[in-house]
Amino acid sequence: MQKSKKIVILGHFGVGKTSLIRRFVEDSFSDKYKVTIGVHITKKVVEVNADESVSLIIWDLEGTDEVQMIRQAYLLGTHGVVFVFDVSRPSTFQNLNRDLEIVAQKTPDTPLIVVGNKKDLVINDELQILLKDNGIKADYLTSAKTGDSVNEMFTHLATLLNDLS
Amino acid sequence: MSEKDRLEILKDILFTEDREDIDKIADRIELLEQTYNNREKFASRVNPIVERQIDDFAKNIPNTLGPVITETLKREIHNHKDEVVDALYPILGKMVKKYVAQEIKVLSEKIDNQLSFISAWKRRLRSFFGGSKEKELLLNDLSSEKVEQVLLIERDSGLLKAGYSKTETIDEEMISGMLTAIKSFVEDAFNQKNQELELIEYELYNIHIQSFVNYYVAVVISGSYSLKTKDKVQDIIFDFYHNFMEMNLDLIYTSRHLEHPADTISTKLIEKKLAEYFGNAKI
Repeated sequence: MQKSKKIVILGHFGVGKTSLIRRFVEDSFSDKYKVTIGVHITKKVVEVNADESVSLIIWDLEGTDEVQMIRQAYLLGTHGVVFVFDVSRPSTFQNLNRDLEIVAQKTPDTPLIVVGNKKDLVINDELQILLKDNGIKADYLTSAKTGDSVNEMFTHLATLLNDLS
Repeated sequence: MSEKDRLEILKDILFTEDREDIDKIADRIELLEQTYNNREKFASRVNPIVERQIDDFAKNIPNTLGPVITETLKREIHNHKDEVVDALYPILGKMVKKYVAQEIKVLSEKIDNQLSFISAWKRRLRSFFGGSKEKELLLNDLSSEKVEQVLLIERDSGLLKAGYSKTETIDEEMISGMLTAIKSFVEDAFNQKNQELELIEYELYNIHIQSFVNYYVAVVISGSYSLKTKDKVQDIIFDFYHNFMEMNLDLIYTSRHLEHPADTISTKLIEKKLAEYFGNAKI
């Protein structure tokens, strides 16, 4: 049995939202940065168990430094949210908890996964200290470049959404 | 006189009244049997009683069943407000459309007459300067419109509910998502309340969009897209959507007592209906 679920990927400019999706959907990576304008939609079917699969319709929203400015129309009917920040760029997570509050207000009662991307650019021990110092709790630390934890993150979300429906 | 005779005389004296009573009862039973076995006689006795009961029942319906029916209807409408509005929307839409169509019919006919005269001259000029035969140009002008693809899409999430396509296309779920994103962007950007994106033009294709409360229908049409085409496509969409929502409401109603009540009809059934309505549609 297959269900369809809409998920949106949010975060500041250049945190690697599109790269995460490309790694997950196409298993590829490009160093060239192309800004996303508006929204780009992709799809991947994830098998959550032997009998069930979830068709993830992934809405890759253009990055914004002002989370409040995200178009509400794009968030309607969303089943799950992934909020991405760049672990190598403090400006993308300095106000993370405030950003997450705004996202929670815009998408009430919707599962939210917090992802710190580009973990390949920092030393793990230093990263842990940095996150602790900023009071940040990331659900996943990923690298779209190496593929580290990318599939796990999306599969976890698909399983969660399947269990909730 | 023997002992037996004397006993009989004694019986006669003692049971005379009882015998008379038994005879009377037997007569009555016989009469009742005759009445019961004779349909007309029986009906003449029973019908007035039944009719009186029915009259009383009918008179008391507003007091006895009225509040229960009203309460049930209120509750059902309240619980499934969107579905009810969705079911009514096509009917109201059709009524308004027919009224407007009737009002502009006379005007439209006059314009058609003018246009056919102008079009003929334009064709002749195109033929003269372009080198094509007038007959070919006329055939091009008359190229019929075709429904290539139909998508029933959830309005908010943009998830595909069901689709019908004459030819193989790219992933319908992704098309549905992108259409919803475009629609959401346009409607949000212009910020006009109650205004909907109705048409997307793409080279030889036109995507006609008809929005309802919970879903919207996108119809991809090849060939020239005229007001007449729009009108016909709208009619088919309204008919389909009315039928779809009616089936949906029926299902919600009949499954409401189940542990997991159904909230919508199966995708396969909707796709079958889409093919029925749009597969051979003459537009």
